[in-house]
Amino acid sequence: MAPKIGTGKEKLIGDEDELLQAVILADSFNKRFRPLTTRKPRCLLPICNAPLLDWTFESLALAGVQEIFVVCRSHPEQIKAKISESRWSKPGSGIKIVPILTAKETFSPGDAMRDIYTRGLVTGDFVLVMGDLVSNIRIDEVVRVHKERRKTNKDAIMTMVVKESGAKHRTRSRADSAIFVLDSGTSECLHYQPVMGYPPASVAAIPREILATHPDIEIRNDFMDCSIDICSVEVPSLFQDNFDYLDIRRDFVHGVLTSDLLMKNIYCYVAKEGYAARVQDTKSYESISKDILSRWTFPLVPDNNHPAGHLYEHRRGNKYIDKEGTVNLARTSRIGNKSLIGSSTEISDNVEIVSSVIGRDCFIGAGTIIDNSYIFSGTSIGSDCVIRRSIIGSDVNIKDNTMIEKGSLVGDGVVIGPDTHLEAFSRLSRKRSSVPPREAGEDDSEGEYADSEEEEVEAAQDSITVHLGSDSNAIVWPSGEMDADEDDEDDVENAKNQRFMRLGDSASDLAFSDPGSESDEGEYSSDEDSEFDRVRLGNLANSSTTSISLDVPVDAADATAESEFQNEVRLSLDRAFVEEHSVDNAAVELKTLRMASNVPLSRVREAVVSAIVERIKIIEGGGIPQRQEIAHIISRWGPLINRIGGVDAVETISALQTHCASSDRLLLFGQILAALYQEDIVEEQDIRKWHRSTESQGSGLPAGAERT
Amino acid sequence: MASDPQSAANQRIVEDLVSRLRRRQVVGSRATALETLLVLRQVVSKARFSNIDQLISIIRSVGRRLVDAQPKEHSVGNTVRKVLHHIREEYNTASERPAVETSFSIARFVLQGQPRRQQTAAPKSEARAPLKENDPDDPDSFARVLKPVLMEAIQDVFDELETVYDNISKYAKDHIHSDEIILSLGMSKTVESFLKAAAHNRNYTVIVAETAPSYGGREMAKSLSSAGISTCLVPDSSIYALMSRVNKVILGAHAILANGGMFATSGSLLAATAAREYSTPVVVCAGQFKLTPLWNLYHEYGALDFGDPSAVLGFDEGDLVDKVDVVNPYYDYVRPELLDVFITNYGDHPPSSIYRLLKESYDDEDNEL
Repeated sequence: MAPKIGTGKEKLIGDEDELLQAVILADSFNKRFRPLTTRKPRCLLPICNAPLLDWTFESLALAGVQEIFVVCRSHPEQIKAKISESRWSKPGSGIKIVPILTAKETFSPGDAMRDIYTRGLVTGDFVLVMGDLVSNIRIDEVVRVHKERRKTNKDAIMTMVVKESGAKHRTRSRADSAIFVLDSGTSECLHYQPVMGYPPASVAAIPREILATHPDIEIRNDFMDCSIDICSVEVPSLFQDNFDYLDIRRDFVHGVLTSDLLMKNIYCYVAKEGYAARVQDTKSYESISKDILSRWTFPLVPDNNHPAGHLYEHRRGNKYIDKEGTVNLARTSRIGNKSLIGSSTEISDNVEIVSSVIGRDCFIGAGTIIDNSYIFSGTSIGSDCVIRRSIIGSDVNIKDNTMIEKGSLVGDGVVIGPDTHLEAFSRLSRKRSSVPPREAGEDDSEGEYADSEEEEVEAAQDSITVHLGSDSNAIVWPSGEMDADEDDEDDVENAKNQRFMRLGDSASDLAFSDPGSESDEGEYSSDEDSEFDRVRLGNLANSSTTSISLDVPVDAADATAESEFQNEVRLSLDRAFVEEHSVDNAAVELKTLRMASNVPLSRVREAVVSAIVERIKIIEGGGIPQRQEIAHIISRWGPLINRIGGVDAVETISALQTHCASSDRLLLFGQILAALYQEDIVEEQDIRKWHRSTESQGSGLPAGAERT
Repeated sequence: MASDPQSAANQRIVEDLVSRLRRRQVVGSRATALETLLVLRQVVSKARFSNIDQLISIIRSVGRRLVDAQPKEHSVGNTVRKVLHHIREEYNTASERPAVETSFSIARFVLQGQPRRQQTAAPKSEARAPLKENDPDDPDSFARVLKPVLMEAIQDVFDELETVYDNISKYAKDHIHSDEIILSLGMSKTVESFLKAAAHNRNYTVIVAETAPSYGGREMAKSLSSAGISTCLVPDSSIYALMSRVNKVILGAHAILANGGMFATSGSLLAATAAREYSTPVVVCAGQFKLTPLWNLYHEYGALDFGDPSAVLGFDEGDLVDKVDVVNPYYDYVRPELLDVFITNYGDHPPSSIYRLLKESYDDEDNEL
């Protein structure tokens, strides 16, 4: 046996106890590619003539993933068939691919994660990606880093892969990006704020405790989120526990980071090398196609490692022509840079092709201009047509002298023309009556969700009068603006935001009409976020105000809950004091109580501080015995104050002050504070900060106590 | 064949290397040559055949798969050809057939004056049991008798690869003289060991160009200076300016072509052209496994290998990425006119006689796998 291969095998076996698994969410959970995706799942749309799913598999195979679960919702049988006929299911591919059908009711990635949990698919750390990923990042390296971190910190449940791209990169989505706040040293993600194209955001809000606890942070708005997450097993179970989590980023990541009950950490991996991007909308479809053709995804390029196994010849100017010589290029045709032409395609005289992708078995008639467009396989285009920045599905028949303006999407099997002019951003699909009966039957069984929408569109046809040519079978989809009013502006799928995802739409009118212009970021005055315990980026100087002032006043119902909670805390602490529990156990008990009655952290702090203060016996005559008593209690129970789920020393002092002021232990305030200081529960700067704050003056304390 | 567990195992290791080649997880001509050889050894040891044609077709089909997986790594194909050549040779001696002159060829014409190595090897086979092809009673007998010889032949190729650096370095002191100034480029293991070997006997200076964008030159300069050679690292742009002071240019190669040209790290063409201007000799150090029966007569664009542009233009330059097309070729094609001598582990050869070396190393019928 050859020694080299031997070691390779051993390495595989060594990894086997921690088999690297990946989960692909092969559904988009949105409708950005309609009508291309009415009869085909998005992950089977071709990009550079290979289905997206194949690109994703190849990306994972690069990382040495051994087992892949493909979670599919719409059109699962197509995905299954594709997987079984692909080269991945052949022996020797080294990868086991298991398609998982999930229920039709799965409407979000969160639901899919819950499904993964209930099925118990994953056994260890796994890679979570979307079914539209194109990447050459060494994910195994990220997994290694993640596992290393898990050894020391069990709470590091997830590592997100992000790529530095600059804020204006063509591949970075403007509609669905985010601001990441990272710890510079550990690259722990401290805060995540989603950013949308519309409504535009000019201010980032960062929780104050982040600034307090992390001396060095980075606030990054130039990351491209690759949607590659290394998750530990806890992640699906967290989704299960929090049934309202829908989106992995906006709900899960945000939820975990803002929750002070979970105490879990999420880290980022900033990929320096490699490429990773998601085809999440038609705009990124275009930019990723261009990235592939300009070889950013090397070695995943058409002439080297084409995921569908096609062979292309790389010519000067990043032109890729099928290698088998079946392409019929007329002598007078002009192929511009960054183009790809599939096998058995015929290009007639005087055709001009500029940065476009043409599928297999296509026919392009004489004198046609194809500019920045993506044409799937089997399509035939007549002569003297013009197609600009559009996506044309497979087996489409575009007849002579047709003009298709930018941003149009033409679904599979559509016939249009001749002599037709399609407006910009029009969307066409085939009439259902022209669907052969067998296929129509399938459609019905696939779920009424897709069909009802198609029917709706069809029903609305009478109101739309667009000339589509004499023997067209197409129906026109209404433009996105129609239902703009119903949309919730906070949703990423709102109509205006969708414009940022649309192919060929620069959305410049939206980008420049934003109401709060960015210049006034410094003197921030709006109150949209006032209920959050947050500080403004440009307003850090005033950040010392404590959270107490921000507490929402409690109404009657809350008040009873509050008093119940206070009571519970007192009882539980009394029990802890009497039975001499460890600080850890007491902290866990408090956390549970807090979760049960849903009160803010400051309340717990107040309760704990007051309970500890009450615990201190007042010794007549004060002096040294009194001091010893205080020191004893504080050293035993003081650490509990910082274990309840967040450290805020200034608040602790304030709570102490408030309690002492209203109890007979008023005179002990100074000594207790000194004891806290001795135990390192409060630092000198905290005391100074508290001293400067308004509350320390406000409650009418004796001047002597204040100057401790 | 597919049902056979042994050939299934074979298929798996072939498939494994194929995907690693496709994904560029094995790169560099020597690494790919070694991996190919390991796979071939495995395939031959597990293969079942009852005559030579079956064996050769098995090896060729494996070779074709590997070459298709990564046509830019020429040493994969070269190794397969070499193994085929050795196997035929061993078979001919084992079956005690005189080397059959199938047809008249230029190669044999040139070689007629030389003694063939085969003739010295012939007496060895006398002790062996006679070879019986296509024995109906025992179809495996042919394989059983021939296999040990074949494994030996493959081991020979293996040993040659293992010792290639040392064998090339042997010639170092014939080419580098004291107080010379040598210009080199990029990171090439062959050149590195060549220069280090020369440093045992000679005292000379090396100028290494950085070789952007891979900056292999930096690594090279570090390695050379740590070996005690006086080394200067210069930017690529100053190659021409320094050329007038340089006595010799020593380059590595990725593949040597049949016409005497070569594919080498990008920047080599620049250095070679500058050297021509000053009539500075250009010496290429390369192992024999880099000899490729390929004529790059039409200077096909795609024959060179293009990497990703991120080494040249950062991905974070968002605005520029959209507007600029960046090409990042790994290799330059250097024409034979610009080169003076190839130093291989078999000795020194002028570019014009590379075709002859090729004829000696490979069989004509394998040029197209």
